[in-house]
Amino acid sequence: MNRQITTLLPIPQTGKISLVVAPKAVQHSLMAMLAALALRGRVIVVDGGNCFDGYTLARLLRQQTHHVQAALKQVWLSRAFTCYQMVAMLAELPLDGTPVIVLDMLGTFLDENVNFSKRKRLLDNTLNLLRRISQRAPVAVWARTRSSATDEDEQLLTALLETAQDIWELQPAEMPVHQLPLF
Amino acid sequence: MGRTLPSATQLMHQEEAALSRFRRALRRGDQLVFDDLFTAAQKHISAAAYAAHALPFETFLMSMILEEHKEVVRLRKIVEALQEMHA
Amino acid sequence: MPEFTGWLLDLFEDPREGLVLYFIDENNQRRRLTRPFPVTFYALGSDAELRALWQHFSQRSHKISLGRTQKMDVFKRQPVTVLGITVNNPYEVSKIFHQTTERFPHLEYADADLQISLRFAAETGAFPLSHCHVFMDEGQQLKDIKVIEGAWELKTPPIPLRTLSIKPNVSPHHAQPQFLQVEVGHEQFSFDLATWRPLLINLRALIQRHDPDLILTDWGDTWLLPRLLQKSEKHHIPLGLNREPGRGVSWREERTYFSYGQIVYRGQQIHLFGRCHIDRRNAVLWNDYQLDGTIEVSRITALPLQTAARVSPGTGISSIEMLTALREGILVPWQKQQAEMLKPAADLFTADQGGLVYQPKVGVHKNVAEIDFVSLYPAIMVHFNISPETILSNPDADNIVPALGLAIDTSQDGLIPKALRPLLEKRIELKKHLASTPAWDPFRKNFMRRASALKWLLVTCFGYLGYKNARFGRIEAHQAVTAYGREALLRAKEAAEDLGYEVIQLYVDGLWVQHPQKTYPEDINPLLLEIQERTGLPIALDGIYRWVVFVGSRQNKDRPVANRYFGVFQDGSIKVRGIDARRRDSTPFVANAQMYLLELLASKKQPEDALPEAIIYLQEQIRDLHNGKVSLPDLLVKQRLGRKLEAYRTLSPAARAVLQLQVVGKEMRPGQRVPFIYTLGKPGVFAWDLPQKPNPRKVDVARYQRLLLRAAGIVLESWGIDEEKLSEIILSGATQPRLPVPPRQHPPQHRKKVPGKHANLMKQPVKLRLPALSEHDQSEQI
Repeated sequence: MNRQITTLLPIPQTGKISLVVAPKAVQHSLMAMLAALALRGRVIVVDGGNCFDGYTLARLLRQQTHHVQAALKQVWLSRAFTCYQMVAMLAELPLDGTPVIVLDMLGTFLDENVNFSKRKRLLDNTLNLLRRISQRAPVAVWARTRSSATDEDEQLLTALLETAQDIWELQPAEMPVHQLPLF
Repeated sequence: MGRTLPSATQLMHQEEAALSRFRRALRRGDQLVFDDLFTAAQKHISAAAYAAHALPFETFLMSMILEEHKEVVRLRKIVEALQEMHA
Repeated sequence: MPEFTGWLLDLFEDPREGLVLYFIDENNQRRRLTRPFPVTFYALGSDAELRALWQHFSQRSHKISLGRTQKMDVFKRQPVTVLGITVNNPYEVSKIFHQTTERFPHLEYADADLQISLRFAAETGAFPLSHCHVFMDEGQQLKDIKVIEGAWELKTPPIPLRTLSIKPNVSPHHAQPQFLQVEVGHEQFSFDLATWRPLLINLRALIQRHDPDLILTDWGDTWLLPRLLQKSEKHHIPLGLNREPGRGVSWREERTYFSYGQIVYRGQQIHLFGRCHIDRRNAVLWNDYQLDGTIEVSRITALPLQTAARVSPGTGISSIEMLTALREGILVPWQKQQAEMLKPAADLFTADQGGLVYQPKVGVHKNVAEIDFVSLYPAIMVHFNISPETILSNPDADNIVPALGLAIDTSQDGLIPKALRPLLEKRIELKKHLASTPAWDPFRKNFMRRASALKWLLVTCFGYLGYKNARFGRIEAHQAVTAYGREALLRAKEAAEDLGYEVIQLYVDGLWVQHPQKTYPEDINPLLLEIQERTGLPIALDGIYRWVVFVGSRQNKDRPVANRYFGVFQDGSIKVRGIDARRRDSTPFVANAQMYLLELLASKKQPEDALPEAIIYLQEQIRDLHNGKVSLPDLLVKQRLGRKLEAYRTLSPAARAVLQLQVVGKEMRPGQRVPFIYTLGKPGVFAWDLPQKPNPRKVDVARYQRLLLRAAGIVLESWGIDEEKLSEIILSGATQPRLPVPPRQHPPQHRKKVPGKHANLMKQPVKLRLPALSEHDQSEQI
């Protein structure tokens, strides 16, 4: 059993937006990347899909250190439950070089209770904000692919694809199979 | 609403699942005892939830030991009473 | 200046006259007044953006005036500069607002999209159904209005509402109604639905003669009024449903939406002008608090009666909060929402929890006192000043929330505590009043219903605090409340244990405690005082149970579950939660039988003494079932359709019933309850609303028998008779031969599911335990 954190995903870099387009199963690798970042210093997580997997993160950290609490304190989390909150959140982020990871970037933009043109406009705002942030800090974004995607959802994804510089697209078959070692 | 992390009950199921290979390799009788331990730990799931450890398995273990010890104390009392009867 | 005293019945915007208001005066007259009512909404943005907006409007219309001003932003905790757009005619506000947002989509807006009754209440203090002094001029224009009893008064003179009720003789979703039953004044009428002309003419005459303020219907929203309106138009006989001339009725569409993991269905709505229409079948919580409670909701939330009847308590709370904000000059944000503050992930584990809930010991407990905090979460919000704007991230402040790393600013009353305090106080006052009101007092029912309406609003306000779309929601506030709640409950537990009690059960806002020497209500008072002392929150004794039984989960009887229990208080009253007698999807036959058994147990000093009678009763019920003596409506199961039909992998019974209805052209939406009967063979169900009647011989008697015995077993097993034993006893005494034997259940230890990849290897050969054969019935055993 491999006792190192398997980071399928490389650490993001300042100056460009890294984008991973993949289904839910990539979450484990994202937490692994997050754990690696947390062990180096502060990292900001913006959760756009209510999917922050704190316990997996804790387990991954435990594989590398006893000081799990200290590492968890380095991860600064905010959850957005609506697209409005998403925009507000990114507008208020400190621009001090702290790496930013966005989980399920489009999750809140799929809400059909808000009309599409408004959601598109809010997404454009969000992407502008992300561009600005990426000039000062590493930014990695996960766009979750869903089997129930509509045409409108595709349009939103396209806008996101056009904003990112480094893009990884992962199909379900490419997802690594994980055992969950505890100790 | 706004709940992100799994409940303590779900966590306990995850821990049980993580031990499934271990359980499989046990003798059948031991497997039932293994199951009993987790049933016992269920009784204190609320304390585990309140404790909110990032690595909750320790609190589940404490719950199992707690119930074990209760049983020991109970049996001890019975043994002592029996001993007294035959004294 | 002419004046009168009366009640505000209805108010709405008019294309020409501004605001139209209908009153019932104390001389039993109905009055129609008008009042110009300009409405202001606000735009927020940079100076340049606001200037562009100003220019856009000043070139346009005389019906709008603009003004820069300062208003309080609750989240920024300081006044901000805003541009006020005042529309002279309230009827145009919606249109102009939406035009503005399309033209200037990048601005933020506030005080937009609000019910006119809220604005009116904020400005004048007069809420729907308030009792007022009204001053007017000769042109029937409202000049001044003064409320006599505020919304928080306990005693108010009853409103002399004239009511006309209409209902079809049978549910239109079940069968074709034959006639309409109309009640008005003290008369009752029956109109044949086969002849529409006379029906319409007579109905119109009744409405004209009695001029009702309130039209109460059954299925008025979804069937009756649309039908009446359609026929009225076809036969050219206007009904005069509205008092307000020249207006059609107001139609709102049906909706299906997702709420807290469940699909909720709301039927379409028909509102009237100058009169109120309430459809009892489409009114929220009508069964719980009826008209009295609905009037209470309307008055407190400042929502018009027709709206108050149909909205969920969440909308009611939102209304109260917005009204408070308007009164205080605080901006009501239109769409902007507060994002969660950045916090260390380490804090999420403690913050992301609900209330504390113990696993009780399954079985019977004697002399247990149930004590509950009074409206715990609202009390916490009020007492500890928890509001979206009072949460500070600076932990150096001295009012730090336990284990959350946040502090609460107590220097000023928060918006939410301001909004909730009168609600909380009124509920407490009403409860006290109820406790001292004798059962024969005619006002008792009224107080109970109003107390219930208040309770529902209070119960919702906590959830609303954390709701993602709430205007004044904030997840940190929500988390702070649960943190205080857990702390309060733990302190209560500690107080109980310090005073020598054993804690049998703990559940979010209440505890069940037991002390061998403390079995009378007076004995519990020191504990209540101690808890109040340690927590600062009010707590009350619900009652002392003679005995209470905690029931295991539906899947596994030995696994304790927090919210399934039943018990008898010392005064003989029964409390039941979570089992068939209480569940909305249970069959009346089973629910009633279970309730009967509970009452039987409660009636004896020793519950065990009830067992022989219980067995006889159950044997009778089963005999009736087999002999076809149980009426079909009592066998109805009302399951909810949980999702769209296509989403089912294996069809639930409800889904199969819906399929049957589809074949005859009846559509059901997810979220609606489908009544059906279990039948023999495939598909195993018969939808109740099919045009033909079900065949009583096809009823799956064996299944209902199983359901009955399972429900009975839950009640009786604490005294030695579980479901299996019951089956043995009942079947051995049954007079009919050839009864189907209920399927054997696997012993619990083999039923446990083991997670992980190897679960399917868990199956062991199961030994069937055959019951001891009795002398007569060997033929019935397999």
